[in-house]
Amino acid sequence: MDPAARLGPAQIDVVAQLAVSTLLLGGIYALIAVGLTLIFGIMRVVNFAHGEFLMLGMYLAFFAFTLRGVDPYLVLIIAIPIFYLVGLFVYVLVMRGVIHASHNVQIFTTVGLSTALQNIALVMWTGDFRIIRPWESSVVLRAAGTAFNLAQVVAFAVAVALTVALMAFMKWTHTGRVMRATAQDRDAATLMGIDTDRVYRLTFAIGIACVGAAGVLVSPLYAAYPQAGLQFVTLAYVVVVLGGLGDMAGAMLGSLIVAAVEVGGSYIFGAAWKEVFYFLLFIGVLVFRPAGLLGQRGAETLGA
Amino acid sequence: MSRLAPDRWAAVAMFAVAALTPLVVRDAFLLDSVILILLWGALSAAWNVAGGYAGQVSLGHAAFFGIGAYAAALMSARYAQSPWLGLAVGVALSVVAGALIGYLSNRLKGPYFALSTIAFAEVLKIVASRWRGFTSGSEGVPVPYRPGFWTLGLGHVAWLYLILVVAVGCYALQVYLERSRVGYQLAGVREDEDAAEALGIATRRRKVQAIVLSAAMTSACGSLWAQYVGFVDPSHVFSIDLSVRFALNSIIGGIGTALGPFLGSLLITSLETYLRATFSGVEASFTGIYLIIYGVVLILIVRFAPDGLTGIAGRFWAWRARAHA
Repeated sequence: MDPAARLGPAQIDVVAQLAVSTLLLGGIYALIAVGLTLIFGIMRVVNFAHGEFLMLGMYLAFFAFTLRGVDPYLVLIIAIPIFYLVGLFVYVLVMRGVIHASHNVQIFTTVGLSTALQNIALVMWTGDFRIIRPWESSVVLRAAGTAFNLAQVVAFAVAVALTVALMAFMKWTHTGRVMRATAQDRDAATLMGIDTDRVYRLTFAIGIACVGAAGVLVSPLYAAYPQAGLQFVTLAYVVVVLGGLGDMAGAMLGSLIVAAVEVGGSYIFGAAWKEVFYFLLFIGVLVFRPAGLLGQRGAETLGA
Repeated sequence: MSRLAPDRWAAVAMFAVAALTPLVVRDAFLLDSVILILLWGALSAAWNVAGGYAGQVSLGHAAFFGIGAYAAALMSARYAQSPWLGLAVGVALSVVAGALIGYLSNRLKGPYFALSTIAFAEVLKIVASRWRGFTSGSEGVPVPYRPGFWTLGLGHVAWLYLILVVAVGCYALQVYLERSRVGYQLAGVREDEDAAEALGIATRRRKVQAIVLSAAMTSACGSLWAQYVGFVDPSHVFSIDLSVRFALNSIIGGIGTALGPFLGSLLITSLETYLRATFSGVEASFTGIYLIIYGVVLILIVRFAPDGLTGIAGRFWAWRARAHA
């Protein structure tokens, strides 16, 4: 649907509106993807259960709001440490044992985790769509011929802040350097006295904390249901592969590209077909530049 | 395995029991369970050809299943033709799709390959649910029931024997693959692609061939499934859950073995049927319990027994042989 049609006589500049929508959507996608790319870059594991942690974040926000009346943005403050602990727990329980195993073992471990988490949610909370409407999701902001939702803007701002903070952490802190060293060469890092198990534990926990936070942030905008993670995570794969697996700046760029494809595709061809475009883009990138737009050529065939 | 091959005996026994079931019982529920065990086994065997023997671990096999299901369903519902014709069309389309996916994803390994297969299945799911004029969109396609073999409107006993023939065919094909030159070449590609290539094996061609064969088998089973169940909808036939299920049966039973997919299906399908029957009256969402068990079993199997049940049985056999020696 033409975004201007809904808003009636208000003056909407289509190009500016599409640009703002792309930016806002891209910010949220970036936060989902950045955890995935961090885990892949350092642990060399594609977390097929990533979307399920997003789904859990959405449920956390839903229950906090409906049962306790807590605003999603307050929930965010406790969600980050909660999901950090969830990440630690899952790492110790499930991931630690397969970190040195083959790709297939890792793929099916996270796929199994995804199936189990999805259905735990289904059994505990049924398959109903859970929607919350806190005050911020009904506030519309208008500026320079564009209109957007306050919840989107906050989600975008927090997502960008968290992503940037994570990038700064990786670049400038000692722990960040240790993590990057482990990513570059696991064996050499071990020889330098780095406790790689601790690095992986930290990496997984941070990645899950990011995606849990993303789940809370998107809760005023999207319905929570057991398979809610799926729609976002397939998109996060596209983002991450576009940006180059393990590349955080690439993930930001990939998010913007995917968001632009989605927003532009919906505007031109209608919302029904939008996913086709980014999947075709995905296949195109996998086939022609599997290491990502910024990545080194040939990384995918090294069995990285 | 030597000439004794207890796994071959197990397979023969399993198929024999299936063949004898209709002679002993006429209970529709039990016959239905046997049919589903065989059909999921055959589908997992089809996955195993690419994922197990050739090491091309796909999470998008629902794409071929869906193509087969839709081809048969549309052929009988929309064009009032025989679903067998639909099956043939589906196989032809899946061969093309398999060749395309195999060719395009040829360079990709491990998680990259799995991701690209997921993307292919997702594209087909979206097309099937949005192309309303042809596929009826997300409402799905009900398959008309017209009695007769040519229209695949069969009773439970006839279905059982038909699916048994298909299952035995899939099993035999795997056994052939294990013993043939191509099969050894595929094992070489799976274990060390560079070494295989250095030995003069056309690794890329072999990989594509394995995917095409696997796609054709999956599609044919998908067509039969559509006719048996009588309803096709895009969010189910193209779902990742389905792709995972094919892989799961094979892994639990023993990936890259002929018996594995059927053993896995026997276990998982019976568990599912049992839990469905037990909990269906209580609460609909409780059927999710078997999927939780699924997920946990999958994690435990790949971690502690990556060669599956046949692997465990093989080790037990070897241990017993030593103990008695």
